[in-house]
Amino acid sequence: MLTEKTSLSHRHIKDALRIRKVEEKFLELFSQGKLNGTVHTCVGQEFSAIAFAGQLKKQDFIFSNHRCHGHYIAFTGDARGLLAELLGKASGTSGGIGSSQHLCKGNFYSNGIQGGIVPVAAGYALANKLKGNAAIGIVFIGDGTLGEGVLYETMNIISKWEIPLLIVCENNFFAQSTPQDINLAGDITSRAAAFGIKTSKGDTWNPDQLIAGAKEAIDYVRENSRPLFFLVDTYRLNAHSKGDDDRDPAEVKGFRDRDFLEIFQQTTPAYYDLYQDAISQEIDSMVIDILAEEEMEIDQYYSSTTVPADNSWQPVLPVNKRQAELINTFFRTKLQALDNLIFLGEDIHSPYGGAFKVTRDLSALKPKQVFTTPISEAAITGMSNGLALNGYKPFLEIMFGDFMTLAFDQIVNHASKFHHMFNKQVNCPVVIRTPMGARRGYGPTHSQTLDKFLVGIDNVKTVAINTFIDPGLIYESVLAEQHPVIVIENKSDYGKKIFQHQLTNFIAERNGDRYPVVRLRPVNSAPTLTIVAYGGMADIMAGLLNDIFMESDLKPELFIPSLISALPLELIRNAAEASGRLLVAEEGTSFAGLGSEIITAVMESTTCSINAKRIGAYPVPVPSVKSLENIVIPNKERILNEILLKFS
Amino acid sequence: MPVLQEIKVPLLAVNDTTLTVVQLNFPNAQQVEAGDIVLVFETSKTVYEVVAEVSGYIEYFAEVGKDYAVNETVARIVSAVDQINTHPSQPGPTPRPGRNSPLPEIELQGETLFSKAAERLLVSAGLEKSLFRSRDFVSKSDVESLSQPVPVTTLKKAPGIPALSPLVPAEADPEKVSVQKLSASKRKEIEYLGGVQEGGLVSTLHTSFKTSGLQVALNPSLRILKNSMLPLIIYEVSRLLVKYPLLNAYYHDGQVFMYRHVNPGFAIDSGKGLKVLKVQGAAEQSLQETESAIVALSELYLEDKLAVTDISEVTFTITDLTAESVTLFNPLINYRNSAILGISAPDQVLETCMVSLAFDHRVTEGKLVSRFLGELVRRLESYLPGPAYKASKITCSNCLAPLNQEQNSIGFVKCIQPSGAEGYICQRCFNGF
Repeated sequence: MLTEKTSLSHRHIKDALRIRKVEEKFLELFSQGKLNGTVHTCVGQEFSAIAFAGQLKKQDFIFSNHRCHGHYIAFTGDARGLLAELLGKASGTSGGIGSSQHLCKGNFYSNGIQGGIVPVAAGYALANKLKGNAAIGIVFIGDGTLGEGVLYETMNIISKWEIPLLIVCENNFFAQSTPQDINLAGDITSRAAAFGIKTSKGDTWNPDQLIAGAKEAIDYVRENSRPLFFLVDTYRLNAHSKGDDDRDPAEVKGFRDRDFLEIFQQTTPAYYDLYQDAISQEIDSMVIDILAEEEMEIDQYYSSTTVPADNSWQPVLPVNKRQAELINTFFRTKLQALDNLIFLGEDIHSPYGGAFKVTRDLSALKPKQVFTTPISEAAITGMSNGLALNGYKPFLEIMFGDFMTLAFDQIVNHASKFHHMFNKQVNCPVVIRTPMGARRGYGPTHSQTLDKFLVGIDNVKTVAINTFIDPGLIYESVLAEQHPVIVIENKSDYGKKIFQHQLTNFIAERNGDRYPVVRLRPVNSAPTLTIVAYGGMADIMAGLLNDIFMESDLKPELFIPSLISALPLELIRNAAEASGRLLVAEEGTSFAGLGSEIITAVMESTTCSINAKRIGAYPVPVPSVKSLENIVIPNKERILNEILLKFS
Repeated sequence: MPVLQEIKVPLLAVNDTTLTVVQLNFPNAQQVEAGDIVLVFETSKTVYEVVAEVSGYIEYFAEVGKDYAVNETVARIVSAVDQINTHPSQPGPTPRPGRNSPLPEIELQGETLFSKAAERLLVSAGLEKSLFRSRDFVSKSDVESLSQPVPVTTLKKAPGIPALSPLVPAEADPEKVSVQKLSASKRKEIEYLGGVQEGGLVSTLHTSFKTSGLQVALNPSLRILKNSMLPLIIYEVSRLLVKYPLLNAYYHDGQVFMYRHVNPGFAIDSGKGLKVLKVQGAAEQSLQETESAIVALSELYLEDKLAVTDISEVTFTITDLTAESVTLFNPLINYRNSAILGISAPDQVLETCMVSLAFDHRVTEGKLVSRFLGELVRRLESYLPGPAYKASKITCSNCLAPLNQEQNSIGFVKCIQPSGAEGYICQRCFNGF
């Protein structure tokens, strides 16, 4: 064993020692109160990083997890950037925003969400495969991550689609504090094998074998453009984080005695001391410099920006085509023109074309850019994120809006975070489309309007198309976005044509915003009731305007925003101030919904007294039976009644 | 009629509640063979061809380019050509009018919409919808801004009988009663006038003024409305209202709103509907000007040429029933007024006329109203012809008894004394002891 170890290149030993010394420095700085937050060290696991991250090519990429320092240093060599990052300095690899778990430099990315990085890495690798650049990638997970479902969704896809991704599972036998025998059933490599993924094994106590095995694995993935699952047995010699270690000290000591660097120190102290002194000096000197550096100013990180509204109004024109058809036409046109456009989704291939036929014929048109996927919302959303990070413009279809919950982690903890937590080095221009809404009798889990959960995600634009504007116009703006966008379509609008409303007493016009606001206003009367509705509810409310007037004696105007994550507040407020009444109608439930947001925003920016009202769904699951669905999702009668009760 | 195949709009996809007919493959009434494609629909995802299941004659009810709802019949195949009526007004589905027609952008091309509240008010105010031509929407306040609601003058009801009898109950015996529903306008009028009266604080004071010789004294000042007291009453009431602003006012929501101008209105109903015509600026007009205004407004009323301004913003209402055989009535206060003056028919025997002032007690009280009425009576009676003779200075030329001590109501008899001078003789001297 010793012979084998001594055959290891001293370069590798020095690299591993540098990782260890940097992490020991972190622990020292932490105990001095100089680190904000937490730190997860990989002391004892360094050779996994050396073996895999250290043997990749520059064009390759790495996605790592919360225990990522070793991978980072081995891949980038940037110990200084890491030190500065953890010390919260502006010169840190993520500007001090991300700290220990959220690193980004070149093709290195890490995130602290267990499992979530696996599909992102798969998408990133798919992008490389599509580019045909022979670059591959590694995603590091721990044995604790084996409990995450998205891992298996992704393994299924990377095997089926032959995506060149190497999954390295660093098995340190503990999921945070819980020993593996409590949490883990069955065998680890069999899991990957079950998906038809080649597997391999190694350990950090035989680093030269591990390095050789890693080389083989990397070559396999690159040459065959297929995935591989590599299990690395290892042991972290420190706590999960800092002081949270309940492991048997004897067990830890046993592994410490097996640790290569410990043995190296004992067997060749002269070399060890020489290397250690040089490395420690290098680190100390860096830390002294870094401590004198500045932290980022808030205005470099965040400043409130508002896009000025373009209120040059132009008429809304009817289009004698159905909404679904118009979206499809836009996609076809763009797919033909753009090679970086990718469509993903369940059942979107020809001839089926998606549950609502929006992606009809796309896969026939350009099969290499259209992926019909397994039923794996989390994985395909993560893969879309990865594609977006790696130069593609993915349009992901989530078959029903209800299923967005399955994709939520990827939207909240990944897509919405990448740009900021990686200090604006990357953009994630992913587009996620989904149909929301009821009125089709699909019942409790296929009829929901979950918009309020989506607009609550910062740094993701949420757009709702409607039946007043050619959806192609809105999708043109979506296409140009550099950051994540969720597009809410509405099931009951798909079959409707654009602006077929018989509203002779209203002027229908839209402003010049990139996401236009549509306004329906009386031809020559001053409105006495300002209504805001969007998406599918806009169509319903437009159809009700005359009835609202007849019954309530109030002259309504209707504002229909299409960008619902940033509202046309000034327009709405000015209108409500003039009319004195503000009604927001939405298909979702009112509590903490869009109506709450709009009314609050108007109220806090006005000094006028405005009579305001929300109308939304009742807070119960949407019933399938039509009579009840019509009441729960406000129908004409309920809307009129509520308006009369409130305003008359 | 033996129909061999009925062709309805199919439900092909969840999105498509309507389909577009894009092709009719045969002329109407043409013979078709089983297997022929007779019609083509377009859906959101594809085109759908309808195949004849039988041979026969095709009859279309659809037009190319139009949308038809699922389950609508768009064509059928019949057994004989003479079963097909080629007349354009064929039975069958009618496409929704204008569904695909382009919409106007700015100009109002549709009809003016009236809210239900506005419709009710229009009916009760007797206004024409055409007043609002080219408007997009007409609300209640739009109507209010152009009209003044009409008061209703009612005969005094016998005590114990409710002013507004409820409709005959459903269980009423049709052999004993016949039921006539109130007209919509009457029901709305009831609802409408409730505004002030339902405050429950309406009181009415009555008084009378002498009319003996009044009209005779007045007529020389009138040009047309000889024998009418209305010009004088409007003339005097207007001047008084300047002095009594609380009667030229209205109550709303805990506040009294006093009109800055006096624009009394008089009720008229001569077969063209009950209306209140406004005499603009009456407090500044002469009696003759007031008379002219009444005449002019009445002519406009009779010729249906009243402008909205002629009947809007009436600040006080006068109901003149002197031409009716009414001895006393309680007028109902008009919307946005605090008082109304009713004039009953003069008593020909007593030569007096009853005037009644109903007032909103939330705005004013009886003391002020009685002062108003007292002052009005004094003003009206000031037009009575003054006595030609002073009774205390007339004495019997025979017994020298003064006329004012005469016990007999007949008075003295004028005579010519033996000297040739005019003199008087009392009844006792005239009749002899």
